[in-house]
Amino acid sequence: MQITQNTNFESFKKAASMPPEEVIQIIKDSNLKGRGGANFSTGIKWECTRNCDNSDKILICNADEGEPGTFKDKMIMTKNPDILIEGIAIAAYAIDAKRCFIYLRGEYAHLRKNLEDSIAKHAKELEKINLNIDIIMGAGAYICGDETAIMNSIQELRGEPRTKPPYPVEKGLCDCPTSINNVETLANVPLILEGGWKDMRLFSLSGNLENPGVYELPLGVTAGDLISLGKPKTDIKALFFGCAGGCIPYAPETKLDPETINKMGAMLGSCTVIAVGKEQSIVKICRNIAEFFVHESCGKCTPCREGNYHVLQILDKILEKTATADDFTALEDLASFINKTSLCGLGQASNIHIKTALKYFREEFR
Amino acid sequence: MIKVKIDGVQFDAEAGQTILEFCLKKEIKIPHLCWHPDLDPQAKCRICVVNVNGRMSTSCNTKLQDGMDIITENDEIIKARKLNVELLIANHDLKDEDNELSRLAKELGVQKSRFDKSHDKQVDDKSPAIMRDNNKCILCGRCVQKCQDIQNVNAIGLSGRGHFTEVSSYFKHNLDDIACVTCGQCTNICPSGAFIEKDYIKEVMDAIANPDKIVIVQTAPSIRGTLGECFGMPPGSLVTGKMVAALRKLGFDKVLDTDFTADLTIVEEGTELINRIKNKGVLPQITSCSPGWVKFMEHFFPEFMPNMSSCKSPQQMFGALLKTYYASIHNMDPSKIVSVSIMPCTAKKFEMSRPEMNDSGFADVDYSLTTRELGRMINDAGIDFKSLPDGLFDPVMGNSSGAAAIFGATGGVMEAALRTAADILEEKELDNIEYNAVRGIKGIKEATVKIAGMDVNVAVAHGLRNARALLEIVKKEPSKYHFIEIMACPGGCVGGGGQPVPTTKEKAKLRAEALYKQDRDLKLRKSHKNPEIAKLYEDFLGSHGSEKAHHLLHTKYTKRNEFGN
Repeated sequence: MQITQNTNFESFKKAASMPPEEVIQIIKDSNLKGRGGANFSTGIKWECTRNCDNSDKILICNADEGEPGTFKDKMIMTKNPDILIEGIAIAAYAIDAKRCFIYLRGEYAHLRKNLEDSIAKHAKELEKINLNIDIIMGAGAYICGDETAIMNSIQELRGEPRTKPPYPVEKGLCDCPTSINNVETLANVPLILEGGWKDMRLFSLSGNLENPGVYELPLGVTAGDLISLGKPKTDIKALFFGCAGGCIPYAPETKLDPETINKMGAMLGSCTVIAVGKEQSIVKICRNIAEFFVHESCGKCTPCREGNYHVLQILDKILEKTATADDFTALEDLASFINKTSLCGLGQASNIHIKTALKYFREEFR
Repeated sequence: MIKVKIDGVQFDAEAGQTILEFCLKKEIKIPHLCWHPDLDPQAKCRICVVNVNGRMSTSCNTKLQDGMDIITENDEIIKARKLNVELLIANHDLKDEDNELSRLAKELGVQKSRFDKSHDKQVDDKSPAIMRDNNKCILCGRCVQKCQDIQNVNAIGLSGRGHFTEVSSYFKHNLDDIACVTCGQCTNICPSGAFIEKDYIKEVMDAIANPDKIVIVQTAPSIRGTLGECFGMPPGSLVTGKMVAALRKLGFDKVLDTDFTADLTIVEEGTELINRIKNKGVLPQITSCSPGWVKFMEHFFPEFMPNMSSCKSPQQMFGALLKTYYASIHNMDPSKIVSVSIMPCTAKKFEMSRPEMNDSGFADVDYSLTTRELGRMINDAGIDFKSLPDGLFDPVMGNSSGAAAIFGATGGVMEAALRTAADILEEKELDNIEYNAVRGIKGIKEATVKIAGMDVNVAVAHGLRNARALLEIVKKEPSKYHFIEIMACPGGCVGGGGQPVPTTKEKAKLRAEALYKQDRDLKLRKSHKNPEIAKLYEDFLGSHGSEKAHHLLHTKYTKRNEFGN
């Protein structure tokens, strides 16, 4: 795997010998996109942060990998923490940040030592750019993986998203310009500077398979190729892209890239793929996902807070065979509107599973 | 200037304002709920969604940008709004309600929700002033913003997550068991009836129906400038005569005026101030007529207890005199008198329940109702308020000056006190009696007034965040001021916790203007010139600050901690 190579801080040295603007240009030219799921250009994000007037710039490494079925960042921090720390150092140099916070998922407490060891090991290099890296432990809230909620959490405020604008690159943590980058994004940075980098994605593959795990493949790989690597236990009927990405019917020729999946009404996001076997109930899976969102909604806005609660109630009625026609239309209304009026990414993705399940597996709801 | 298109019409607009603000000014209707003009937009309810350049966005927090193409209503927007309203009313029974939420639902044509009731929470009715029914809460967050950002009391905040989020207090204690100052700012802003005043309408109506009881009502200075709003009249309508007539129609035996004891407060408090200045007593002297402020001081700034004027508030002075002086004049058995007050305030309910407030030998005040409760009583009785002929207050304790009238606005007590103190110290009648420096809605106002050759430094604060800031100044510079007026509510009583919902800064301003007009229109504009006050001292109290006056009209304070009582 490319991502497990160690560049031994040579890429950092190379970057530090160039003007920061040149580093940003290299990242822009590489077309590196955010791997947290939003697919925004990393170079542009850095450039916006760097160009803000405020001199106190901050880098946040989002290691709050909370999307169910996603474990690629965990793999990086387990097998190759050095490449992440090096990526952080390069990013901090590029945007001129003196402070970096790694927001580590609460359940990943055991990985904290890996990161601390790597920070200690490279203390000298980090000192050269006066970079101070703090590790902040999350406490289990999924919403705190949202880029604005993460800032509230670090500031010890209630874990709720902020309204945008202002965007974090202008007014982020403690109102300072802040670049928030995912672990996988930052881990790719040293490889880009080293040269010979290939734009590969880490697919977190799980579900009804013999060989679940992290697979490094290019975007556009076919569903069939990916699933065959995982060795299905039985026939696969659907792919769920985590909880937030919705589902599509399994067809081996489907290309796994954001555009194709978007067209189908789902979201590839951070390349989380859960394979569902033909004997499994889509409604039950949706019910589990709805329960997840009821538990993880922060409670700030109406559609996400109340809408998901009632999605769960109605799915329970469907499973108990007590749902009425009214319940069914109410479910369809929720499925088509929660995303449209929700405040943040969590709410805007919280009904995609129902929407896509109703689109492709409607008969299972009857 | 930027150009925007709204529903196909081009507008020139100033940059920097939100879509909702602009549309409200242009009278383009956008239904909205959690937005409030005095608070930062939270964009929580998601009712005010519009289509901006093809995408649904909340209009309350989206700022106008050049070239924006906005559609305020189409089928999709209507459906989205209705669905969110349905989600919000799942725990409401709309036919029994009249609040912003129920009116919005009606406006959008939502009769009832398709969604099941989802809460069965305990109602917190332990506070003597405020009730909290979290079943009705729609988590708009206005109350929390008011309590934290505007009042800086921090009695309430959010706890829990998602559907289980609730407006909560310190360790989920009831409101009577935390540092809630009962100012009721949460109740005059809550759109869904989750925070309401503790209602004593039934008790009062029962007393009126009881032939053995003599039910006497006093009416606070500000409510004649706000009560009309309960009947659709514009803010700032002065309805003194109709208010008196309505109270009589409701069956109160005597209709009297708290303005009378507002005058009395000035005389007593002015005497106290002059004594403190002459005898080098503790200064600055701070006003004590706002019970929310008094409780705030007791919780958070008890070191200022010696600075507090020992005068009771006008409500409590009135209560104490009603069952002594007034009863003896009219040969009434004080044990049969039921003393009711109509106040702009929820903290008055707490104040009357304080254990020291029974100097008449009875509870000085038996029930304190808010402006809103009186509005409901009048509506429930089927009285056509707007067409009532004007009534007059009953004699004795019904007469008052313009100085008392302006008690209801921030700076009013200060101005009234200055009018009297200046006359007494200068030993002549001064004509220049309007102290404009202490008027207006600036958070902290300062002035230096020359009286009898002396520079008297005064300060006025309204809203408890401002009060806190002013006290911090006094802590650093203890001799900066001689006299300070503090009101708990933004704008003073016209912005009181018991005033019509929703109260806004703008409405408070209009209401205050009505009170200042009332002052200007009166011949009698100084408290100590009120002939009824002179008679009260002559016939009953003796001199200003006499022992009897002290017994009936003055009080003491209790140190409280920052967590509860």
